[in-house]
Amino acid sequence: MQNEPLVTFNGVIKKFGGFVAVQKLDLEIHKGEFLAIMGSSGCGKTTTLRMLAGLDAPTEGEIRLSGKPINDLPTWQRDTPMVWQSLALFPFLNVIENVEFALKMRGVGAKERRSRAENWLERMQISEFATRNIAQLSGGQRQRVALARSLVVEPEILLLDEPLSALDANLKVRMQSVLQGLQQELGITFVYVTHSQSEAFSMADRVVIMSKGVVEQVGTAQEIYRAPKTRFVAEFLGSSNIFSGKCDGNGNLETAVGKLHLPKAGTTQRKGQSATIVILDTRAHLSVTQPKGDVDFVRANVIGEEFTGATATIYLEAEDGSELRVQKDHETLAALPINVGQSLYVSWQPNETHLIPDV
Amino acid sequence: MRKRITLYSLTFSLPLLLWQLVFFVFPLAFLVALSFWTVKNFRMEPAFDTINWVTMYGRSVFWQSYGLTLALAAGASVLTSILAFPCSFAIAFKLTPKMRQLAIFMMVIPFFTSYLVRVYSWQIFLSDNGIINGLLGLTGLEPIGMLNTVFATMIGYLTLCFPLVVLLQLFSLMFIDRTLIEAAHNLRCGRLRTVFEVVIPSARVGLVVAALFAFILSFGDFVSPVYLGGGDPTTLSILITDTTKSGQQWPRAAVIALTMIGTLLAVAFAAISFAYKGRGK
Repeated sequence: MQNEPLVTFNGVIKKFGGFVAVQKLDLEIHKGEFLAIMGSSGCGKTTTLRMLAGLDAPTEGEIRLSGKPINDLPTWQRDTPMVWQSLALFPFLNVIENVEFALKMRGVGAKERRSRAENWLERMQISEFATRNIAQLSGGQRQRVALARSLVVEPEILLLDEPLSALDANLKVRMQSVLQGLQQELGITFVYVTHSQSEAFSMADRVVIMSKGVVEQVGTAQEIYRAPKTRFVAEFLGSSNIFSGKCDGNGNLETAVGKLHLPKAGTTQRKGQSATIVILDTRAHLSVTQPKGDVDFVRANVIGEEFTGATATIYLEAEDGSELRVQKDHETLAALPINVGQSLYVSWQPNETHLIPDV
Repeated sequence: MRKRITLYSLTFSLPLLLWQLVFFVFPLAFLVALSFWTVKNFRMEPAFDTINWVTMYGRSVFWQSYGLTLALAAGASVLTSILAFPCSFAIAFKLTPKMRQLAIFMMVIPFFTSYLVRVYSWQIFLSDNGIINGLLGLTGLEPIGMLNTVFATMIGYLTLCFPLVVLLQLFSLMFIDRTLIEAAHNLRCGRLRTVFEVVIPSARVGLVVAALFAFILSFGDFVSPVYLGGGDPTTLSILITDTTKSGQQWPRAAVIALTMIGTLLAVAFAAISFAYKGRGK
């Protein structure tokens, strides 16, 4: 089979005492893909990764690697090397000894071990530090050692648990491109756990969004950004205006900010069914006067402004307290009276919204 | 810029300085001076004579005793470390936090009783008519002479060192970063191998310090070699008492004591530099 998944989670549940960390996880990870698992802390993303590595055992369900169940395989018999958030480099070994470690465990001879490790140091551009102590390295160099240590055994899959979270912003971006380059070059599967949207969306082929042990959505960055499946995902992404309410049966949604049009596309909604519509902050507009024509609008007061480079995001609050956001370029904003407390109209085209029907 | 000495800083540093002077430097200086005194007609006379050093270092008895004490202390240190390790490993990694507290408490209990009393109770076990031989007799076996042997001396050293070594090992094992152990497993290092590849190297400083303490305690111990070993073979501590008893030879005893202090300093220095070898600056 061409598209046999490398990893399959089949109804995997993980409980720690009474706490359910992962609820009924079904997930397939394909060969050679860069998969990011994203969510806030405690959502079960790290537990999922640790179960795959064999560091935590699933309470129920089955995990398969290359078609074989691995539930009962101890971690030291799996080929699922992991890069830790703390990197977990051995402080009592120098750089090259760290990289050689996994080869030594596999009984690779001293000579071959050394040459393979040297190869990887060169590849990660840290050859000059081969005999240094770990304590003498910078954050970025340690990162490279950790990657070399895991990749030296040429695994089919590499697990990464928030490896970049300790780095400063510049280095983070540099390491992101190192990681992406490596993944494409080696053609192996990366499973990357992070709480950072920018990391997940910029590197991953597919992103899994988890919340409270449940997978909320799986898809490409574009899919998730354009069409969030649940209100949680839309809120988590944090770049949308979100309104929930009940359908009136005539193509409208009754919300706390008033009656809003449902998008034309898609199925007509039954009367009384609850639903959520999402408007991206880049698709919303601002005006001083009430907008005319076939648009929806909400009147709201400016509560703040965030500078984001070429654009700025204006935060507003509607009368009922719901928060709105609009992202615009600086020329457009210069023509508007953006002062805290200023009342403005936030408007959008009804067919540019995204509908999330409640299940 | 030189630090100015203030009344405030003196308040805190002076007591320590005085303590060190009065209870360590002065006695040591006196001991050094004493080793050059002479003894005439069972009376000590202040002098500067190297005769004591020459006499003691010229005696084969002294060097035999020295080598033996060194070997016994080294043996006790290694044996205690090896026996204590599984115990401290289990307490650090296998017990729940509650049980660990209890185990640490239990390890402190032996310090409540005098070491001498604990050694006496060993006599009851080990003597020819003691508990162990009594039990052996019940099963029809010949009694084994255990008291007044090196074996009994070792038992005494273990009694002295074991709880302390376990505690010292335990505190170094407890502070090992658990992710290092997981990382080793993850890189295909099995459970037992991880102990040697990761746990012991990670805890090296603590393990060496624990072994060093066992060495220091056994090297200078007088109680076990006398009351369990029967004074034979003669350790340096026994040699000191013998020397003082025979003809008021305090200066010669000072030579032995100074040799012991010198040895301990050298061993401690070697052990500590071994413990920190290869660590990043």
